[in-house]
Amino acid sequence: MSAAARARRIAVTGLGAVTPVGTGKEEVWANLLAGRLGFAPVASFDTHAFSVHLGAEVRSFSPAPYVRRLDPTRLGRASQLAIAAARLALADAGLGDEPAPVAAVAPALAGVAMGTTSGEPREVERFDDRYLAGELDLVGAEFMTLYPCHMIAAHVARELGFAGVNTMIPAACAAGNYALAHAVDVLRAGRAELMLAGGADAFSRITYAGFARLGAIAPERCQPFDRRRKGMIPGEGAAVLVLEPLDAARRRGARIYAEVAGYGLSCDAHHMTAAHPEGDGAVRAMSRALADAGVAPEQVSYISAHGTGTPTNDRLEAIAVGRVFGAGTRVPISSIKSMIGHTMGAASAIEAAVCALAVATDEVPPTMGLEDPENDFDYVPNLARRLPVEVAMNNAYAFGGNNASTIFRKCEVA
Amino acid sequence: MQRETAPPHQGPSTGAAAGRRRVVVTGAGVVSPLADSPAGLHRALAAGISARKPIELFETSGIGCHEAGEIRPFDPQAYVGERNLRPLDRTSRLLVVAAQLALADSGWAPAGQPRPAGTTPGAEVGLVVGTTFCSVRTIAEFDRRALRLGPSHASPLDFANSVINAAAGQAAIWHGLRGVNSTLAGGEASGLQAIAQAAELVRAGRADALLAGGAEELCFESFLGYYRAGRLCGSLDRGAVERPVPFDARRNGFSLSEGAALLMLEEASAAAARGAAVRAEVLGWGAAFAAASGEDGMADAVARAVRLALADAGAAPAEIGCLSASASGSVTVDRAEARGVAAALGERAAELPVTAIKAMLGEGLGVSAAWQAVDLVETLGDGVLPGIAGLEQLEPGLPLPLPETAPETTRRLEPAARRRALVTAVGADGHCAALVLGAAP
Repeated sequence: MSAAARARRIAVTGLGAVTPVGTGKEEVWANLLAGRLGFAPVASFDTHAFSVHLGAEVRSFSPAPYVRRLDPTRLGRASQLAIAAARLALADAGLGDEPAPVAAVAPALAGVAMGTTSGEPREVERFDDRYLAGELDLVGAEFMTLYPCHMIAAHVARELGFAGVNTMIPAACAAGNYALAHAVDVLRAGRAELMLAGGADAFSRITYAGFARLGAIAPERCQPFDRRRKGMIPGEGAAVLVLEPLDAARRRGARIYAEVAGYGLSCDAHHMTAAHPEGDGAVRAMSRALADAGVAPEQVSYISAHGTGTPTNDRLEAIAVGRVFGAGTRVPISSIKSMIGHTMGAASAIEAAVCALAVATDEVPPTMGLEDPENDFDYVPNLARRLPVEVAMNNAYAFGGNNASTIFRKCEVA
Repeated sequence: MQRETAPPHQGPSTGAAAGRRRVVVTGAGVVSPLADSPAGLHRALAAGISARKPIELFETSGIGCHEAGEIRPFDPQAYVGERNLRPLDRTSRLLVVAAQLALADSGWAPAGQPRPAGTTPGAEVGLVVGTTFCSVRTIAEFDRRALRLGPSHASPLDFANSVINAAAGQAAIWHGLRGVNSTLAGGEASGLQAIAQAAELVRAGRADALLAGGAEELCFESFLGYYRAGRLCGSLDRGAVERPVPFDARRNGFSLSEGAALLMLEEASAAAARGAAVRAEVLGWGAAFAAASGEDGMADAVARAVRLALADAGAAPAEIGCLSASASGSVTVDRAEARGVAAALGERAAELPVTAIKAMLGEGLGVSAAWQAVDLVETLGDGVLPGIAGLEQLEPGLPLPLPETAPETTRRLEPAARRRALVTAVGADGHCAALVLGAAP
């Protein structure tokens, strides 16, 4: 990392989220701190052929308040969720949201970086329904105008008039962190003055069938790090963070949640769906992030775990955390997937927002359902906690062996 | 005009390139319907050979188009040996082969063999891949099997490959690529976005060696989808002659294609330390999005991307020796691209040698721009710029100096025109990217 690149510090100045436990920063944060659960029997498709039935869907979501320039009926659900999160984030950043959202920055210097696992899976599901019904003649132009995953970032930018960098990073369940990392690079290189970075995924029968087939879905409860955990629960949602150069954010008097102090990426190169047995890739991602941020492990105040609740993930993640932080570490670690399930490409974006909030408010959300922890780590069981959060680390791991860690740090008062 | 040069904090005023890490190309791997090596592809493109042939991969009855750039035969084991290919779908196989070829071409040993002498200890090769779909066929087949037979019969193998970063993950496993692993989706611009992101990571000191490019497979789902969207040649004016000819007045859509291509990008001193041959240098890049719909918005975004790439490279328009355009035969996008490039290059546009290799290769979506970059590296080496096969009737009023008629437009560039070359990549959904390549020092 060159000194020049280090010189440009990046601030988080706005947060927007649509999640199974609420919409908007205030509601989501209050419900996560209160330990509310977002699980219910799946409503968006019939699960009678499955042996599991719970999901973490975003109920009664209406795109109408958020999708104003574009026609919401011509957007996939992930795009709708992403636009909602983006508008909420811009408003939260004090940048207004109508009609030309960001007076502070020229449109050509305002960019979007989004992550996803499946893009707009419902569009391919609609295609498949027609295929199996022998009705392929009903497939129209909308398949290719709605389905490709890059339409999520494109739709956000079109809705908001953002004409700068536009990047879609489908890095599966680490995609939110990947998008955030990319946005940091774009800002550090001076290629944009404002970036919306986040992730979005829509609830999907494809995702559900896949995880069910792997035996990875918990029947009743999502209990990350508990000895009796039975799996994850698929979810959906979106989160967007507003990122700006710290100096510019200070000049305009923006509220600064945290600084994105660094990130680290790595690849297991081991197995498509199982993590490395010693957590090698996760260790390298965490270590690179710490080095990039110039932070020692003992300076980390809180870790937002990937913590899916599957037996394998949580065991290997604990090994990796132990290797980086020491087997006896007391750093508080929690998984909000115990409340909102695994929102796929949105997950690490929502968790990044949680880290920014933890840094800003000195509170951390709990790991719910934790009765018999598998490790002697501090998993913040069942009750939110007040503690000084100087530095928060956000970990995400994905199919394909993609690992990403991001680090958020409290900003000194200017 | 908004500020489009590097901001003051970025570095010394002596030029955008001063004092920063340099990114060089030390090799490439290509899988395409025309050839399986950069030199072979370059020769085929210079000869104006078309990749279009009747599709055999899937049934096209009921669709009004029947030809595409299908790779046939495609025998991955001829390249990667007898290891088990069963867990890999077509996109992953294309990418694994391209990675194998690029690792060999750049002097990095394939997985399982010792690295060549002089490689940086601890250096890890990573992978950045552009793709539109990865495999929409795998995703759809996974879904349909689960629907037909019930979820207990869903295929775990297909599910693992249903994520859009599956090919990048599979290639990393196959070749032991433990560095950064990233997948970018930006339609026809994906491959250039991937090369730009990789170059940014190398320049910023986050990586020393990255494979970067794109991969896309031909499949029924995307072929039908683009046909219904009116984007395949002939899919709007059915019954007309299919004319996927960039910049031609009678063009009526693109010819879909498939393949994979990767450049090995390395930090210059690390490449020198391991004695790698430098084929070209990645000098600068830029990206923009057409937030406003219509041709004007697209032309503006193309122009911004090109200006940003030139500024990043510290290159004046007059220094650009040739252009490899994104144009594919798309009715509106080709014109927007020509207008945007001309707006960015000013007077230089009037005499700029231009090729549009999709005239021969077709539209490979995520791989397209990687093919363009690989071929332009060859052009920088030998001075041969392929023509635009099939161009019989140039669209009137295009602001680029394209030949009026051009069955044989391959030309040899003057030495001065072989120093810096421009690649543009324009996605129909608004993603625009530009890249400036420089000849090997």
